[in-house]
Amino acid sequence: MNIFKLLLVLSVFFVNSLYAQKPYVEKELLNKITKKYKMFAKKRFVYLQEILDETKDGDDLQKLEAVNRFYNGVRYMSDRKVYGKSDYWATPWQFLGKDKGDCEDYVISKYFALIYLGVDSKKLFFTYVRSSKFKAAHMVLTYFKTPRSEPLILDSNNQKIFPASSRKDLTPIYNFNGESLYRASKSGTGKKIRSKKAHKKWDELKLNMKRKLI
Amino acid sequence: MTLFRQIALIVSILLITILTTVLNLNFQAANVSVQDRLYEDAKNTASSLSLSLGSANGDLSMMSTMINANFDSGNYHYISLVDVDDELLYERKSESEQLDVPEWFSNFVNIEAPVASANVSAGWSQVGILNVQSDVTYAYKALYSILKGLLISFSIIAVVGLIVLNLLLVVILKPLREVQKQAEAVMRNKFIIQKSIPYTKEFRDVVLGMNNMVSKVKAMFDKGNRELQHQKELEYIDQTTKLRNRKYLIDKLPEYLKVDAVSKGGINMMIALSGVIEANEALGHRKVDELFNDIADIFREQTEDFEDVIIARMNGTEFSIFIPDCESMHGLMIAETILTNSQFVMKKYELNASETFLSIGLYEYKHTQNIGELLSHSDNALAQAKFKEWNIHLAKAEESVEVMGKDAWRAILLDVIKRNNFKFVSWSVVNAKTKKIIHNVLSLNMKVDEDTTYYFGQFMAPANQVGLSDDIYKNVLDMMFKTPDSNLENETYSLRLPYEYLKQSGTYDRMKALFSVYALTLPFRLIIEIPDKLASQNSELVQDYKRLFERYQIEMGIFEFIGESKDYQYLQDLRPVYIKGEPSYFISQNEQSLSALRLITDSLGISLIATGVMNIDTLEQLEAKDIHIVQGRVTDMIETEG
Repeated sequence: MNIFKLLLVLSVFFVNSLYAQKPYVEKELLNKITKKYKMFAKKRFVYLQEILDETKDGDDLQKLEAVNRFYNGVRYMSDRKVYGKSDYWATPWQFLGKDKGDCEDYVISKYFALIYLGVDSKKLFFTYVRSSKFKAAHMVLTYFKTPRSEPLILDSNNQKIFPASSRKDLTPIYNFNGESLYRASKSGTGKKIRSKKAHKKWDELKLNMKRKLI
Repeated sequence: MTLFRQIALIVSILLITILTTVLNLNFQAANVSVQDRLYEDAKNTASSLSLSLGSANGDLSMMSTMINANFDSGNYHYISLVDVDDELLYERKSESEQLDVPEWFSNFVNIEAPVASANVSAGWSQVGILNVQSDVTYAYKALYSILKGLLISFSIIAVVGLIVLNLLLVVILKPLREVQKQAEAVMRNKFIIQKSIPYTKEFRDVVLGMNNMVSKVKAMFDKGNRELQHQKELEYIDQTTKLRNRKYLIDKLPEYLKVDAVSKGGINMMIALSGVIEANEALGHRKVDELFNDIADIFREQTEDFEDVIIARMNGTEFSIFIPDCESMHGLMIAETILTNSQFVMKKYELNASETFLSIGLYEYKHTQNIGELLSHSDNALAQAKFKEWNIHLAKAEESVEVMGKDAWRAILLDVIKRNNFKFVSWSVVNAKTKKIIHNVLSLNMKVDEDTTYYFGQFMAPANQVGLSDDIYKNVLDMMFKTPDSNLENETYSLRLPYEYLKQSGTYDRMKALFSVYALTLPFRLIIEIPDKLASQNSELVQDYKRLFERYQIEMGIFEFIGESKDYQYLQDLRPVYIKGEPSYFISQNEQSLSALRLITDSLGISLIATGVMNIDTLEQLEAKDIHIVQGRVTDMIETEG
């Protein structure tokens, strides 16, 4: 009987460990981030992991709220000041490691965190907008519950998530979803093309993420 | 295949393989680049067009117009717009599939134009995805042009590369070629010392080694040459009078006493000086030696008009003057003059002419006689002369009764020459030690009719007499080269050509013309034998024959060798495969003489062959002298292998 119990416990442990979700930032990478950005950075990533863990079982809206709230806590700073470049799309590890970035960096980090939480990538778009409030080009993450529904706007300048129709201060210019473009990018004969390309900045970002750029 | 060719082939294959690989890689890179370009163009169009389409606020007619405008103005194969549910809203497709490149190229190269996509939105709403694919016609044209350019440039590089490679190999392997020439020369027993020592260590060692070896062999030859010259002087020259001696006469006579000798006869004088003991008592040995020298001078003076004369001191008091082609009357005149002049010499030395005087026996010989007959008849003539008042006696060889007259022979020979009715017969030259046949000697039979066949020994003497021997040799050579006997295939045969035929003007040119057409197809290995009398002259003509024979892989042999030359350099220059001599010549050689000859022939790879060996006794004597290769009747008694 005791043996049966032991086997049961062991098998449950085995199945759990098999199906347990990997952390958003793997241990090895987190060590590197800690080494580079010191202990506070590590704490930010640990806190992020806690929030993600807390909301992983919630619905899309709860996930959007949690991720938007967390990342909007990061300080805004232009790419020129942070990276010495006029425009740079930072990886989520660079963004949270440095704890600063511009509007695209918020969008990127939110996007990947939501993907980690299981939100369908088809529902998330990077949207170039014009902010009438700041009279400047801006980028927000948009969430389409269905392809034809009104999107929700995850804006770095706004802690709350609003439907697009409520954001009169924003004028949409262009939507894009890298993953959907990858899916569409096939050769004329229907064969897969040699290298994945969708959007220059997006392609660069994907490459940097693959290289675990921190 | 030579090393040069092997290296050239391997390096050429390597070079061409590398160039082909680089060409292929270049072309593949160009292909990828062109496809990337196609994608970039499509992507740019997709991005800009999708932004434009956004301004249409989802109005399909407006968006179609925009797509049409773009499609018609650019090089596109396909543009489509699909909605968010993947339903096709609008599309344009190029209908022309004609490529402006050769068909083989379009079959060979497969260009996939990638489809570039961009999201299309209207305000916050998604419209769908725009797909753009560039037209590949331009890409095919560009790639075809690139391929042509690559092929031209790589062909030029390949040609230039191969030329440079060839030149480099020639330079690098030049020392090897020199080594090869030297090695070939060694194989042909030529002594070449390479003066330019290669820089490359391996070649340098080989060259130095071969130079060393060649120097040693050359030194061996030179030593043998000097030794043989010295021995010849001791062996063939009378030390007092510097005339030839009896041995020389004996060794030399076979050249004149043979059926095909050019000279049909002449005079042999045997001269004896009587009263030498009295002269020694009266004058002393030294003075008597001077007397002999004066008498020798008389002999020389009186016979200087005869090219082939042999004056030999036979013993202490007797001399022989062998004069081919000298008639008896002329011989008598010479003898009388010698006697008269000798009397003046006796007076000079104040000798009593009734005590010290010369007796001269003249014998008119025929070329068909043998040496023994010649000497015994000459001795008889001398014996008769001693009893004559004038101390001169002339004896003549008995006239043989000819079966046929000269005219009859001429008619028969002309007829046979005309019908070319000669047939080759051969006999073997055998190494008695190894019991192997070394080569076969060719001779001729002359078939007059069904019942009558003459052997070489039978018809050659009359042919010489009627002046048709050259025609016979000409016919024989023609027959050998133009219609070679199929029975002679795959063997080695030797053909002996006489001095007079080889010396005759026109023979060389005739041979050259004959060889140039037929020699390379000769079905057997041929050795042409030339007489030592001609070879030892080492004249321009002899060198010409050597070069001619070499060019057509015909080898040279030497016959009637008695080693009378003053210098044996001609053996090194001509490098005959063998030298043939009479058994008496070899047997009579002393140890030093023969070993000096061996030193020369061994250093040059020349075999020594004794001809006319008739019996086992002679063979045994030859073998005792280390002469094992023989020809003659004795070969029938040697059981050969195979």
